[in-house]
Amino acid sequence: MQQQELRQLARKLLEEGTVKVVIGYGQPVAGAPAFPVFITDPAKVDTLVWNEQCFHNLTGYLKRKEIRALGKPAIVVKGCDERTLVMLEKESQIVRSDIYVIGMACSGVGEPQAAKCACCEVHMPRLADSVIGQVDNPPVDASARYAVLDEFLSAYPTPAARMAYWQEELGRCVKCYACRQICPLCYCERCIFDKNRPTCVDTSPTLKGNFGYHITRAFHLAARCIECEECTRACPVGIDLRLLNQSLSRGAEEHFGFRAGVDPEAELVVGSYSLKDREDFIQ
Amino acid sequence: MSETITKDALLKLVDEWIGQGKRTIGPTEIKPGHIRYARLEDSAALKLGGYIRPQNSVKEFVFPKHEKLYRYLFEGKEISLAEADGEPAATVVVGSRPCDAAAFDILDRVFNWDFVDEQFNARRRATTIVTIACREWDDYCFCTSVGLGPAAPRGSDVLLMPLDGGAYEVRALTDAGRALFAGHTTPAEVTATEPAGPERKFDMESVGEFLRASWDKPLWRDEALRCLGCGACTYECPTCHCFDIVDEGNARGGYRARNWDACQFRMFTVHASGHNPRPDQPSRQRQRILHKFRIYPDKFGELLCTGCGNCGRACPVGLGVLNVLEAAAKAAVEG
Amino acid sequence: MEGNGQSNVYRPELMEVIGLHQETIDVKSVRLRFKEPERQEHFSHHVGQFGIFSVFGYGESTFNICSSSNWHDRLEFCFRRVGKVTDAFWKIEEGDTIGFRGPYGNWYPTEEWEGKNLIFISGGIAMPPVRCAIWYCLENREKYGDITILYGARSVGDLVFVDELDKWAEYERVRVIKTVDPGGETPEWKGDIGFVPTVLDKASISAENAVALVIGPPVMIKFSLPVLDKMGLAAKDIYTSLENRMKCGIGKCGRCNAGPVYVCKEGPVFTLEQIRSLPEDY
Repeated sequence: MQQQELRQLARKLLEEGTVKVVIGYGQPVAGAPAFPVFITDPAKVDTLVWNEQCFHNLTGYLKRKEIRALGKPAIVVKGCDERTLVMLEKESQIVRSDIYVIGMACSGVGEPQAAKCACCEVHMPRLADSVIGQVDNPPVDASARYAVLDEFLSAYPTPAARMAYWQEELGRCVKCYACRQICPLCYCERCIFDKNRPTCVDTSPTLKGNFGYHITRAFHLAARCIECEECTRACPVGIDLRLLNQSLSRGAEEHFGFRAGVDPEAELVVGSYSLKDREDFIQ
Repeated sequence: MSETITKDALLKLVDEWIGQGKRTIGPTEIKPGHIRYARLEDSAALKLGGYIRPQNSVKEFVFPKHEKLYRYLFEGKEISLAEADGEPAATVVVGSRPCDAAAFDILDRVFNWDFVDEQFNARRRATTIVTIACREWDDYCFCTSVGLGPAAPRGSDVLLMPLDGGAYEVRALTDAGRALFAGHTTPAEVTATEPAGPERKFDMESVGEFLRASWDKPLWRDEALRCLGCGACTYECPTCHCFDIVDEGNARGGYRARNWDACQFRMFTVHASGHNPRPDQPSRQRQRILHKFRIYPDKFGELLCTGCGNCGRACPVGLGVLNVLEAAAKAAVEG
Repeated sequence: MEGNGQSNVYRPELMEVIGLHQETIDVKSVRLRFKEPERQEHFSHHVGQFGIFSVFGYGESTFNICSSSNWHDRLEFCFRRVGKVTDAFWKIEEGDTIGFRGPYGNWYPTEEWEGKNLIFISGGIAMPPVRCAIWYCLENREKYGDITILYGARSVGDLVFVDELDKWAEYERVRVIKTVDPGGETPEWKGDIGFVPTVLDKASISAENAVALVIGPPVMIKFSLPVLDKMGLAAKDIYTSLENRMKCGIGKCGRCNAGPVYVCKEGPVFTLEQIRSLPEDY
């Protein structure tokens, strides 16, 4: 039903010239994860699908030159993906009126359902130009938000235990940068890890190079990460990267009352300055 | 008459290898849902069934993701160099797939092209590969489209053919393989059925011809637009071998190492002047496919691909070489 | 001699810096000698080949060996300060040790050029890979016909090896044309003023029985080629040296290929005819 409506809307937008490209999900093989498609021809809108295999946070493509070159886009987003749009606009990376946002009501992705869906508060997109579908949006216990993190912390209660865990996990990292490439908020034209004057972090996939990379990247996303968990999904060697981000997200919420991308009016933690900013941690 | 071994006897043998101090590698569940080739502490960790193939390839045990080439030491203004590591450890890979083993034969060509890469050769010599033929395959597999198959013996020292009932027919293919299994097999009047393998997905001949003239075709833009430009496909691939060379150390000294690198990264070909011959994802995807299916075969007579399907499985946006080749096959027919 | 004969093909040999000369505001030429005297004695290369030079702790970089293959007491290269490794090279001093791997690549077919008239065209920092060929040919003067050297740069301050330009002009049947871009001249400048392709067009150089070696920035090459064509030079008689990002230099790391050709193994020297058959992958 939603899929039909989506295809109709896409056709209309393209035929009327409202947009030049529809960024959505396609799925040539039923059952396999859906993947990003870029429809420029209204005759091809039947490529678009909508189901619980639509994991990808497509907003990452808005920063790409070759996508922007296609012209004004319509983009299919779930409620969680929408949080990225709020952040990208606040960080002056997109102009909201330059994008047509198609919001899909979503009851969760994945089979079994992804962990992030269990504590989702945005089953219904809030800021879209068109919303397709209708789904209940029950309130969520705030403590459920960091359930995965809490589970980890109780399984590894001491710093020594956690260090051993991360040495094992980050030891597998091969520096493929899938996590960075898929992250919609990693949009720096020249990433610090690609610079070599100076080389801030060893590029080698040694423990030193891997710790340096992941911890630095997590901090660069502190109070910016919108918890889409795409980094964790993309990692080919199975590192649970979202733990690092959740830890910092909880810090942002506890210390600054801020959750990235939730309130379009909220001032950024890192990107704004207020005379009322806390100073009590400066000793 | 064939030589055979029961599953229990095989596991006991694996424990023997581990006991002998051999670095023993096999598929193991490193965490729920992730089966990868990794070092085995004991045979109980070896996972022999219930999945199609491990997520990674075996190449990292012969061509590591990070390898120190040599060390340098600063003593005032003087610099001295020293070799980095000792002899590579004797290694056995048990439970390799034919598509993993075949890669080594293929990689031999480039690593011995005029200049002899002793690092690669030494590790290759120290590694014995015990492959288990496949009885199952999935939609990502396409070994039969690139001249291989579920029981292809290339690159293996021993090929184990699964028999009904859980035992294996043991086909020792090299002296190293024979030495490993000597005295541990039982003769029996059985021959394993040769598995058919996945259906051929495309005709390499006609796809190759199409690729030869494909430089400016829209195929690359159409297929590669969703490519993220990460290295997941490259690093899980048994035959990808591009590498970077870096210096790492401090004021006292350090080492020069080589690390895996990927032609999918924007920085791969960027000149010091800022000029980049491959400035976008479509041109980089084109390089990947042409390198594997035109450049390498033209130079060395081998496809730089074994059809294992790891790229498609690892890619966060479902863009394996199979996707591109099927699109190329379609474009070849449509003209 | 291929490589250094050691079993570790990636391991460099140690060289001592015995001379440094600042050519322009951001270009230096470096003179080196193998730390092992015996190695220096037995080392040989062909003009056109390159080496991979390194500053330990910073990394490796690829440069043409710009000294003549007839000079057995030293090796030279020339670099512009543009990145991490060349920054480190900028800071080295006489007596310092650096690493060297090579000589790699193919070379100018100086034997095929014997008996011919030679036209050497270069611009800016691309003079060094031409310089070695010029010296080589001058040192075997009787084997070659008329020699024309056309060299230009953005400004007088950007010219490299200026002293040698004047020395070359003293040889028999050698014509040296030096030029700077309009606006790049100084009051004392006695050479031409104009872009290299323009000066080439007006220079009336005979293409009879000639080959040309043309190395320079892409825009210079782009506009010089039609002039050479007009002069009557065939694509197979025009040579150049290609550049592509390199790491291993020995055909293994998969980086420098221009389409099906590995620049480090099948190049860097190509004829225009060969280059035209390559895709634009450089």
